[in-house]
Amino acid sequence: MIPPFEYKIPKTIEEACDLLWQAEGKSKIIAGGTDLVIGLRNGDQSPQVIIDITRIEELRKIGEMNGVLSIGAAITHSELASSSWVKKYGKVLSDAASEIGSPQVRNLGTIGGNIINASPAADTIPPLMVLNAMGRVVSKEGERQVPLYQLFKGPYETNLKPYELLTQVIFLKLPSDMRSSFVRLARREAMAIARMSVAVVFQIERGKIEDIRIAVGSVTPTPQRMLEAETFLKGKPLDEASFQKASHKVSEKMISQSGIRPTTSYKKPVVEALFIRAMRKALEEQA
Amino acid sequence: MRQVGIEVPKVDVLEKALGEAKYGADLPTGELLFLKVLRSPKPHAKIVRIEMDEALRVPGVEKIFIAKDIPGKNLVGTITKDQPILASDRVRYIGDPVALVVANGEEFAEQATKKLRVIYEDLPAVFQPEEALQPYAPLIHDKGNLLLEFHVIKGDSPRGFKEADVIVEETYTTTWVDHAYLEPDAGISYLDEQGRITVVCPTQNVHYDQKEVASVLSLPLDQVRIIQSVTGGGFGGRLDITVQCLLALAVFHLKRPVKIIYSREEVFQITSKRHPLKIRYKSGAKRDGTLSAVEVDILGDTGAYASYGSTVAIRSAVHATGPYQVPNVKVRSRMVYTNNSWSGAMRGFGVPQMAFAHESQMDLLAQALNMDPIEIRLKNCLRVGSETATGQTLMASVGIGETLNKVKEWRERGFFSKNNPKRPFIKKGIGIGSMWYGVGNTGIANPSTAQVEVDPNGEIRLFTGVADIGQGSDTILLQIASETIGVSLKDFRLIRADTAITTDAGATSASRQTYISGNAILNAIKNLKEVAIGEASQLLSIDEKDLFYEEGKVKSRTCLTTSIPIKEIAKRCGRVIRGEGYFDPETTRLDPETGQGAPYATYAFATHLAEVEVDLETGKVRVNRMVASHDVGKAIHPKNVMGQIMGGVAMGTGFALMEEFIPGKTTSFVNYLIPTSKDVPEVIPIVVEEKEPTGPFGAKGVGEPALIPSAPAILNAIADAIGERIYHLPANLERVLEAIHKSKQR
Repeated sequence: MIPPFEYKIPKTIEEACDLLWQAEGKSKIIAGGTDLVIGLRNGDQSPQVIIDITRIEELRKIGEMNGVLSIGAAITHSELASSSWVKKYGKVLSDAASEIGSPQVRNLGTIGGNIINASPAADTIPPLMVLNAMGRVVSKEGERQVPLYQLFKGPYETNLKPYELLTQVIFLKLPSDMRSSFVRLARREAMAIARMSVAVVFQIERGKIEDIRIAVGSVTPTPQRMLEAETFLKGKPLDEASFQKASHKVSEKMISQSGIRPTTSYKKPVVEALFIRAMRKALEEQA
Repeated sequence: MRQVGIEVPKVDVLEKALGEAKYGADLPTGELLFLKVLRSPKPHAKIVRIEMDEALRVPGVEKIFIAKDIPGKNLVGTITKDQPILASDRVRYIGDPVALVVANGEEFAEQATKKLRVIYEDLPAVFQPEEALQPYAPLIHDKGNLLLEFHVIKGDSPRGFKEADVIVEETYTTTWVDHAYLEPDAGISYLDEQGRITVVCPTQNVHYDQKEVASVLSLPLDQVRIIQSVTGGGFGGRLDITVQCLLALAVFHLKRPVKIIYSREEVFQITSKRHPLKIRYKSGAKRDGTLSAVEVDILGDTGAYASYGSTVAIRSAVHATGPYQVPNVKVRSRMVYTNNSWSGAMRGFGVPQMAFAHESQMDLLAQALNMDPIEIRLKNCLRVGSETATGQTLMASVGIGETLNKVKEWRERGFFSKNNPKRPFIKKGIGIGSMWYGVGNTGIANPSTAQVEVDPNGEIRLFTGVADIGQGSDTILLQIASETIGVSLKDFRLIRADTAITTDAGATSASRQTYISGNAILNAIKNLKEVAIGEASQLLSIDEKDLFYEEGKVKSRTCLTTSIPIKEIAKRCGRVIRGEGYFDPETTRLDPETGQGAPYATYAFATHLAEVEVDLETGKVRVNRMVASHDVGKAIHPKNVMGQIMGGVAMGTGFALMEEFIPGKTTSFVNYLIPTSKDVPEVIPIVVEEKEPTGPFGAKGVGEPALIPSAPAILNAIADAIGERIYHLPANLERVLEAIHKSKQR
């Protein structure tokens, strides 16, 4: 049984911010509800007010301006996966969105929800991290832009204040000569939380890797950029040996973040393999 | 033949496709009280006291029942009655029911459940069968933790091993598996027009439910009525009592209609599971591949309660050799209580676990002897005239060889795909899995009954206690009746699974209903024909011996033009004419010391051939294809048989690769993964019809056999792909990768 709550449907960001402010921390935002409803049902969540943001026009838009792509927080995974702009300027993200859950989940779940739920296994976060995405956060106190990686405090925890609303995710359009890919591993082919995921974005200049960004999901408390591996690969040739060495840097980082666990013997070789696979996939797909 | 062997529309298909079928939770709500159960959070504890004052103050709460409110015997169980409806003095697993709240509305019932306080005193708990057998282990039931030990002994196994040129010995383990039926358990109860306590709910056996409810309430049987609602799957999970006794208890005291719906989490937590088995298996074979001996030691975990534990212990021992002739056999099978979730009937009663072991062994022997996996099976497989491990000589319908030949044809046709050099990290493999399955209960009477009647208005009614749980018995039994009477299926009305108007057909389990209830119907019709001939003799003034029955009519032997349709007979008699049928398969009791005997009247056989691809870097396995060849005796409804096979392959894929229930941890479909449509392989079903002379139209059964060979075939295919074997189910990512690493180290 879900305990009773008030349900509010603001039409504007301003109205939503008012409601959030008035609720004094006792509210929850709903978009697709694919995480929140489970929390309500199992008793993890018992907000007094639920604020439905899906009727706020601005949050339902994907826009492109001055080389920046902005995605409304209430854009669904299905919309992400099929948006020609996202496919063109951030394919790594549309690829990831297309593999989430099932058609039903993708039709309901939103990018904003995926970020704010802050699951270590969130599928859109590693791609957003390699896209250097920023979140636009609005509240009665004003507006701020936060690099995505600064949003996460820990598993299922963000740094947002209870009265703040994530309105958009923005990133610089990925230039057409940048390569990218997303690989994901799960226990079955659909409706399964990622066991591991890797997103990469990089540029090749005269046979060497430039400007590479790597992020992994599901193996660290929050999705992480793999800065050591990135630094290592900069200026390196596109060969197996470099990939191998970089993959070790990825697994080392994973272990330093999560510690040695009974699952480490599985995760270490697999995260290395998936990273190399992501690199190869990026090279093959856009070659 | 007009009705048997053809694909008539399933009689329930339209109702289900239109969403009109009423499952347990869809039953009328009206003025019903709602029930909710408080369950134990502890695996083993004494109940010191239950404080209910606060819960009783929740508005809308009518009553809270605890063990002392049960008027009759507070213990149920299909074989061993050891499971309380509401725990009286102690709880034995996480989920044991402690109190039953009755309220005007689900939310009040739930609120009150949360306000109940139970003071427990923890008791030492035991979770490993090996530990439970130790002399100082905490006792889960007073009689001791060993539920049953059973042996099958034939020939002289030490001598058999002496004769062997190769011996392989391995240990296999399997885990808890949930039935994962789509419909959560639910139901209603009320007093019917005759004042009987009536329970309507999904079930696999209304007559068993009736006996248990009557015993719990200390009522005569005829004061309890069970009606099966449309049932969304069972797979054995609805052979045990689920909601029946709780519903009936509330009506007994309150005399008002009540309803219960289990949440998905409750269904996972408190329904039975497949028994985890630990199987130590030693096989010996001669140089030519002939099996000379097997020794098998089986240790099973029945959890907190017996349920079908002894059935599984016995059936797994009886089937331990697989569908092969083995002259020297020694099997020990033990079933043990622990404080884990209770295990029960789950599609196959232990045979799927055994097939994983014996089929792995067959491949290991083939490997050691450098033989083809199909050839070694063909060499050893049972034939007409073979003697089984229990000393039963098989007289007919032994199609294992033919199922092997059929998959061999597919393999030799080059049906399976090759490795792709562009994806070196994906390795393909193929694997074989064979099985046998005794149809019906093991070495005990398990009769069915049926009636057929013809009304003066021309309606033909088939009465059966058989519960159709989605597998299609309604259609199949009607096909059998329609064909035998010689009257169109449309003229029939089926009255089924209601204890007030149908008689005991036994459980929808052990793949038995087509064979056993099908035969009961044949016998009822035989009786009906005799009655019809008797009546026709009067009506036509012709001696009975000059009359015979054919194609819906009683005909004269002497005058070709003289005949009277059966409907006409009833009409002219002005009353219902009726036939009664009974059938109990011919079996013998197994010897308690040696397990020798003829436990089943007939056996089904099958072989699956799987193609898998294994990701060598992640351990991910995909099953690409499954050729599934089944000897069903005779397919009464071929499409339905194929449907059963496809469902079985899907379930077998889950058993092989991902399904694992962890007591106290697994909560729902969030963490219990079953294959989705994207995980299920392409299935090529092949129906082999080695007719069973005692079966209706030659039919045997396919329900459980459909699932059994898939997991062994998949596991053998994985071993073929990676060169290393997995001995623990499921073959999940971690286990497969570990095996890959092991194979690389060699």
